[in-house]
Amino acid sequence: MGAYIVKRLLQSILVLFGLSLLIFFIARVVPGDPARAALGNLATEEQVERLRAEMHLDKPFFVQYYYWLISVLHGDLGKSLYTQRPVTQDLVQFLPATLELMLFATLISLVVGQTMGVLSGYFRNSWFDGLFRVISYAGVATPPFVIAIFLLFIFSQLLGLAPGVGRLPITMAEPPRVTGFLLIDSLLAGRPDVTLVALKHMLLPAISLAIAHIAQEGRITRSSLIDVQQKDYILAHQVHGIRPTKVIFKYLLRPSIVPTVTVMGMDFAFLLSNAFLVEVVFMWPGFSRYAVNAMLSKDLNAIVAVVLVIGLTVALVNLLVDVTIAFLDPTVRIRRRGG
Amino acid sequence: MKRTLVLMVFGLLLCGVGLFAAENVVVINGYPVIWADPAVGSDWYDTEVLYNLYDPLVYPTPEGSVRPHLATSWEAVDGDLAHWRFYLRQGVKFHDGSELTAEDVAFSMTRFITMGKGNSGPLGKVTAEVVDEYTVDFFLDKPNALFPELLALFFPVNKEQVLAHIGPGSYGDMGDYGEEWLSTHDAGTGPYMMVSHTPGQRLEAVRFADYFLGWDDPFWGPDEVPIERAIFIMETDYTTLMTLLKRGDLDLELNGGWTLPQMREIQRTEGVRIEYIWGQNVTVWMNTQAPPTDDEHFRKAILYAFDYEALLAPYEPFGYTETGIVPPDMPGYVPIEPQPRKQDLDRARQELALSKYADQLGQVKVVFHYCGGLAFEEEVGLQLQADLAKLGIKVEVVGPPWPQYSAECSSPETTPNMVIFLFAPQVAPPLDYYTFDMYHPEGLGWIFSAHWYFEDQEVLRLLEETRTTVDFERRLEIYKQLQPMIADHALALFPYYKPTPFACQAYVAGPKEKIPMVGPSESLYNWRINLRLKEELRG
Repeated sequence: MGAYIVKRLLQSILVLFGLSLLIFFIARVVPGDPARAALGNLATEEQVERLRAEMHLDKPFFVQYYYWLISVLHGDLGKSLYTQRPVTQDLVQFLPATLELMLFATLISLVVGQTMGVLSGYFRNSWFDGLFRVISYAGVATPPFVIAIFLLFIFSQLLGLAPGVGRLPITMAEPPRVTGFLLIDSLLAGRPDVTLVALKHMLLPAISLAIAHIAQEGRITRSSLIDVQQKDYILAHQVHGIRPTKVIFKYLLRPSIVPTVTVMGMDFAFLLSNAFLVEVVFMWPGFSRYAVNAMLSKDLNAIVAVVLVIGLTVALVNLLVDVTIAFLDPTVRIRRRGG
Repeated sequence: MKRTLVLMVFGLLLCGVGLFAAENVVVINGYPVIWADPAVGSDWYDTEVLYNLYDPLVYPTPEGSVRPHLATSWEAVDGDLAHWRFYLRQGVKFHDGSELTAEDVAFSMTRFITMGKGNSGPLGKVTAEVVDEYTVDFFLDKPNALFPELLALFFPVNKEQVLAHIGPGSYGDMGDYGEEWLSTHDAGTGPYMMVSHTPGQRLEAVRFADYFLGWDDPFWGPDEVPIERAIFIMETDYTTLMTLLKRGDLDLELNGGWTLPQMREIQRTEGVRIEYIWGQNVTVWMNTQAPPTDDEHFRKAILYAFDYEALLAPYEPFGYTETGIVPPDMPGYVPIEPQPRKQDLDRARQELALSKYADQLGQVKVVFHYCGGLAFEEEVGLQLQADLAKLGIKVEVVGPPWPQYSAECSSPETTPNMVIFLFAPQVAPPLDYYTFDMYHPEGLGWIFSAHWYFEDQEVLRLLEETRTTVDFERRLEIYKQLQPMIADHALALFPYYKPTPFACQAYVAGPKEKIPMVGPSESLYNWRINLRLKEELRG
């Protein structure tokens, strides 16, 4: 298993290198002048030319890439033209907010999706199964940002049941930053009241992100569960009078969630892309909102960094998924050992 | 265990109650980012925030001129418009308690010009010299009667504080000139002090009790007290902003990007109002170097064919009006041709008949570009498309994204026939911005002069004369003389003037003065908060 993980890590580095080259190229051929964007509308042509030279934009593409690569190898992703500070500082600032939201959304989709999928599969063709299938079609078909606007309007503006936007009320000070995860930092600061408020604020954006995944993962679990239910060994357990709950949790669920876990890896990447618009709607001060603004202002360094972080996240999550599947499905372990 | 739980719940409830008490705090929104270094920032929101954290040497007035502020007086030494002497106010305190002196002002000017960012472009090459503790001389690379007025966007910083926070950078001994530190800290004298700033997220400031102008002002009512804490947020989604405004989570919106239905909704909402301070001149440049808009008669035909009334009608309740070279709320505004601003297809046909494209109207095409995503700009293009179709002229309406759109305007060869921009009075002095900066080859260029016409020598001479005329009234006369002359070349279509709708809560009082320029009126020194009313409305 160790050798396999090392091999996958090396592959990921190669993929990231290729990705950086590609996005570096794309960011530079898209029309627009980043130097002008960085200096503002009132800069003179002389000032713009000077910044272009400082940013090496007057050099050939591969020379620009060389300068960038050298800086990255020294841990410097360059300066953001949008926020006017180092991109690494921006990532440290904005990434935890998005990760916290994504993890919470994943938790919701995992718990609710699996429960719904198992119940729907176990009680297949019942009214519950029918209802879940209808809801899941709607969930998969509706873009998360539409759900976000809908939830915000209904629960926040109309009913006043949910808090507005952001991670905390606008006038509330954040606890001292340790991890950047507000739920953890507030607890570390001994402020459970802030934890509670932060949790409330996270609920609507997390649900907006989770709904499509609940539907998707629930449907896959359902199909997989029905498939496993047909196996002879399940019939044998039932014939031997083993309790239904034991059959579900011990013998049905484990093999049934393997396809779901595979999908979850990709879903995590989708979650990050869906967060782009959901963060804008909920004024979530996260990485995706930062990425949207960086792209709109043609912030070259930030764009490349954003894509690399997404690439890195996808690579790591896929690796994690592979390891998890190997843990859940013994046949995979045996195949990798060459059995 | 039970007791602990009850206490915890009670504690949380108390915290919850605390959150909703009427606080002396104002939440403000503008652009998605603030560049808080006065040598770097230049966009609307930057300037609006800078006017809170810093002070300029001179302050713009509602009449369009400037008045003493950090400087008590100034003069052109021996009448030389390239050598200016400024006498500073004594006793002005920086936020760290130290006093502002000529050293700080000279250092700030050198820093501003050396860094060459933000609003420094229009100043040219300026050098500064300390005369005595409260007197500073500025030497310009060429004479400029407007120099004192340009300084409405020059904000002195605390020299000692900046020097103490120099980071690595490209300015030789000066490293980064304190740029990184100043993006998240302030070193100013302004009415508010920065407490924290996360670029692209929020900036928080508190009232500076020792502000040199003092805080007692009989202008305000007994319940209207100074704002103690200001939180500047950076949101662009107006659906979200509407939710915030209606919930009372947003007190003042400075960007004014509301759609027509949203403005109607704000008008209907109790406890919220729209305040107008300055506006934007909606300008559609016509590229005089690209066919068919290279023909003056063709351009005039467009001006007469456009249905101004149809476009303006739904917006009139919100103060939108006709406009010209200079916005109508500025001193010296002169209505320009065509007048009255009505569609006149007969006149348009007459002009077309005089153009070199008269016998090939079926073959010519006008390309209209707007900034992708801005529906009201597209609306102007579609109106034009419908109007010119009546004359048999095809109009192509395209909305590329801003980076591409603005890059197109870097040369006459790449600029489409027509491009639309909204010009707010963001450059000091505004009258110079709407005239010299836009119609003189030494002006701002780029998107500000995307008509590419600089051939009328008399216009150029008069524009230059404005920069050598010290007397403001005399200069106003020249501006009045210039406007019809510029308009005669039909370089732009002016669909309407758009007053920027600042949505605000009823308990936010102000501004005390409405100054037709981005920034000065938005200093929270010009606003107060009525806490009694806030409690009544918000509980």
